[in-house]
Amino acid sequence: MRDLVNVVFDASPLITACKFEAAGKLVIDHLLTGCELLISPAVEEEVAILGARYPDGVVAGERIADGRIPVVHVKTRRWEHHLGGYAMGHGERESIKLCGQEPDVEALVTDDHLAFIAATRLGLKVWMLPDLVVGLVSRGLLRVEVARAILEVIRPRYRAGVVEHSLEKLQEGEEDAKSCDSSQGRDFEVG
Amino acid sequence: MPKVVIPVKEEILKSAERRKASGAVTEVSQHLAELIDLGFEHRLRQLYQQFEAGQISLEYAANELGLSVRDLYAALEERGLPTSNIQR
Repeated sequence: MRDLVNVVFDASPLITACKFEAAGKLVIDHLLTGCELLISPAVEEEVAILGARYPDGVVAGERIADGRIPVVHVKTRRWEHHLGGYAMGHGERESIKLCGQEPDVEALVTDDHLAFIAATRLGLKVWMLPDLVVGLVSRGLLRVEVARAILEVIRPRYRAGVVEHSLEKLQEGEEDAKSCDSSQGRDFEVG
Repeated sequence: MPKVVIPVKEEILKSAERRKASGAVTEVSQHLAELIDLGFEHRLRQLYQQFEAGQISLEYAANELGLSVRDLYAALEERGLPTSNIQR
């Protein structure tokens, strides 16, 4: 069995994943088959509590309640000063700090430029949601047709070029897989 | 729609009364409500520009508008605007 990808989700990609459906399933449920997805209490508050009147808020709340999306309290004060000057919200700061607190987290998943910059400058690996989708395919945790369907359905939430970039990565991955005739998982490349 | 009492500047009130007198609106409150909508829209666009430029995060913009992240996400979606400001 392949290892799950451990990631911390910020609010915006969590909303997107809980809102859109592709290949007969919510995007979040496709992701949860390949990911251990952690969130901070501030993200839970924004998405599942304040967002409870939206269907995706209910979807998130159900998966939090049954433990599929663990909410992890942020105890560390590490990076508090580093992050203090950025015009970010509590959820974005907590998500970044959670990545520094939890030992097995591989990346922060955010669709926000400032969070992306701040986390990258702290030495974290940061992915946008489309990067995670591509990464799951490259590790054999998501089928390429499903990934394409997900990318198409979430396209309106992204600026021009982002989804095209990810579709191109999928295409490259398919061509590489054909040419190297290997069934082994490849390294996660999102750049 | 909920109703609240708010102080209004003299010039705004006069403009609302003139709009009513000219028949452009049926009530002074209708004109004031339109101005509030325009103000909110303007503030949203202003903050979205800063978000687009990467100066502020989505949650920061939501806080400044007095909305939750989810409400801002919905507001942007309604206007056909992306909720991600990363260009790759």
